[in-house]
Amino acid sequence: MARTVGIDLGTTYSLVAYVDQETGLPRVIPGPYGTPLCPSVVSVDPDGSIVVGEAARRRLLTQPDRTIYSVKRLMGRGVEDVREEQKRFSFRMDPESTQVVRVRLGERVFTPPELSAFILRELKAWAEDHFQDTVDRAVITVPAYFNDAQRQATRDAGRLAGLEVLRLVNEPTAAALAYGLHEQQRGLVAVYDLGGGTFDISILKLISTTEGDIYQVLATCGDTHLGGDDIDNRLLDIAREEIRHRFRIDLDAAPERIQELREALIRAKHELSQAEQTRVVFPLDGVVYERRITRAEFEDWIASIIDRTFGPVRQALADAALQPAQLDEVVLVGGSTRLPLVRRRVEQYFGRRPHTELNPDEVVALGAAVQAGILTRGAQPMLLLDVTPLSLGIETMGGVVAKLIPRNSTIPASAQELFTTGVDNQTGIEIHVLQGERELARDCRSLARFTLRVPPMPAGMARVEVRFTIDASGILQVRARDLRTGQEQGVEVRPSYGLTDAEIERMLEESIEYAEQDFTQRQLIEARNEAESILHYTEKSLASEAAAELPDDDRARILAAAAALRQALAGTDYKQIRRLIDDLNQVTLPLAERMMNRVLAATVEGRRLEEL
Amino acid sequence: MKETQTLTASDLRCWSCGAAAGRAHFCPCCGKIQPLPPDTDYFAFFDLPRRLGLDERALEASYHELSWRLHPDRFAQASEAERRLSLDRSAQLNDAFRTLRDPVRRVEYLLWLAGRRREGEARQQAPPELLEEVFALNETLEELRQARHAGGEAAAEASLRRQLEAEQQKLETLLAAVDAELAEAAAAWDRALDSGAAAEPLLDRLNEILNRRSYLRNLVENIRQEMAAD
Repeated sequence: MARTVGIDLGTTYSLVAYVDQETGLPRVIPGPYGTPLCPSVVSVDPDGSIVVGEAARRRLLTQPDRTIYSVKRLMGRGVEDVREEQKRFSFRMDPESTQVVRVRLGERVFTPPELSAFILRELKAWAEDHFQDTVDRAVITVPAYFNDAQRQATRDAGRLAGLEVLRLVNEPTAAALAYGLHEQQRGLVAVYDLGGGTFDISILKLISTTEGDIYQVLATCGDTHLGGDDIDNRLLDIAREEIRHRFRIDLDAAPERIQELREALIRAKHELSQAEQTRVVFPLDGVVYERRITRAEFEDWIASIIDRTFGPVRQALADAALQPAQLDEVVLVGGSTRLPLVRRRVEQYFGRRPHTELNPDEVVALGAAVQAGILTRGAQPMLLLDVTPLSLGIETMGGVVAKLIPRNSTIPASAQELFTTGVDNQTGIEIHVLQGERELARDCRSLARFTLRVPPMPAGMARVEVRFTIDASGILQVRARDLRTGQEQGVEVRPSYGLTDAEIERMLEESIEYAEQDFTQRQLIEARNEAESILHYTEKSLASEAAAELPDDDRARILAAAAALRQALAGTDYKQIRRLIDDLNQVTLPLAERMMNRVLAATVEGRRLEEL
Repeated sequence: MKETQTLTASDLRCWSCGAAAGRAHFCPCCGKIQPLPPDTDYFAFFDLPRRLGLDERALEASYHELSWRLHPDRFAQASEAERRLSLDRSAQLNDAFRTLRDPVRRVEYLLWLAGRRREGEARQQAPPELLEEVFALNETLEELRQARHAGGEAAAEASLRRQLEAEQQKLETLLAAVDAELAEAAAAWDRALDSGAAAEPLLDRLNEILNRRSYLRNLVENIRQEMAAD
């Protein structure tokens, strides 16, 4: 039977987890490098093949214009939204970008859901390797403060990766689920989730009922642009300014050097969570930028970023009508909560020591796996009641927003509105749906537009009832019904910042082609790696003493086989490469034997020497 | 499926087995989740009379119990049609609970059901005895706004803030009085229902109190926002 997994699709890292059937406990799945953290980085080879994860991360240095990180920041966002981002992280926006951002990597152009789909497909492959079985369904986590467009984009990414997305779960809520299994907490819980790119705060109430535990989210708030990246950018700004000032060197023209500097600073940041001070050494043309950083100095630089998290914290508490001291537990989630400054501030604010027992990088994926277990097997007697983070409304006369579903409403939630025509023989009613807390439509986030069709009749006679439903994933669905006929009406929603169904269909067709290509590409990469190491080893062996005694025709056969393999490496036929690897292995047997004999002889000699 | 607004409970049959299902969430015969009859109001959803006083703890317990049974999680493996019904019913459950658990929203909803109030409409009515005071209050708010923009003396700003704080406290006291008035009128509505007396005039009274209340709330909110801004 095909498996279901939980996936944390993160800004910096992504993880995949599942619930172990025997123990009933969630587990993360390690990838080929032994770690469950898959860097959320995608790179495109000159031959068009896609590289994801650690291998792609290494290319940030060597091929920055073919490689992208932090794609999550672009999900469900428009061209105008990301202008500011572009100053910060190097990605090339395609000039063809309209409402949906399009990213150029090498010769190719992708939308953010397509890029995220590559990451999801990689995690799917990890899980399939682990289970030796297909994986076709997933629960994927999103920041609690993601709007409808960002959620849709995430769901689209899942579809493009060949995964049926059973549910999108808010990251802090997923963490609470994972902790719930671990800790059996009760009462009021605050989950403070500071990740690579986003910040969320959720306030939950845990209720025991005879059926099981209910995790009811009372309020959530956040900032989809606040996280570890901002800390890295702050460090980068400071370092670049110092380099400019001290050496008159401007790194603007060298994106790969900026990336190297960023990585050096990230290492320093990590070290400062353990040590009181650290040193950054960064060689430049002929000079070296060397900088000692103390923890106090570092905390001074980033304090204002950490302070920004408490705006949403206060808002969420106010919405839940609670004081900080009323909370029974505080849980920390996300890699950035390793910073001692964050831990101190949170402890001060709530007046209690926060929970950090579960690995803050893994806890969200573990929670996603728990929810996947609940949905597929009813594995745990737990029920999540989450909320929508933003108010939903429609534009009315004068550009004012009429709120239909207030923020922090438990989902699923719905609202009905009755619409009619304003002039005689009007055949369409335009509806503009928005999300946000402001009064005016132009200050809120445009979600979608659609047109209600009505037959021509005098003004005010039409009666169309529209039902807006936010489903359990926080995604809007719209249905319309003509009250005079009782007929349901199909509503074609035009997303403001998302892909249409037609676009998804086209991408899906392309992705099927990818799916095959993916498998072939993986085989090719593995075959190439193996070929390279055997060629390297053969060369070394031929230069060894044992090879000196090798008959000329044996040597000639080895050289010919090696040359053939080297030539095949330039191609993309992994089967041919495999065959030539076997050939080379065969002809090197005599050489291997000779070397083995020498080793044995040396061992024997050694023993004799000892015996003497 | 043809729906009209004149369905009575006995007309409602299970979509799956055809047994009489009434307004039940699940068919009493085959146990399948049922579509929401179009005229189900929030009180009917919880099987409650249209009274304004209710046992909030019992309501919450009922909400939790229904959440377990209606939530889409419970239908993840069910047919597309049942998933749809679960979505509609659990959305209605959440909407109904959100509305009924709050005494003020409960009154608003009752008035809406009675056709006295349009949804989303928050009519505000200034209590006549407050008009002069509100005028002065708005002036103080404007002065504070200007003082902040001008970045003038801290002492002047602090004095304005003290004035506003005093004003805010006074309004909160008034608001509490209006809330008490609302609770009293709500209790009167329930008594009228129980005794079969004419309840109509009480609706007008409830409406009038709500309008006053939302006006006061707005003033308090304006002050709060102005004080929090910097």
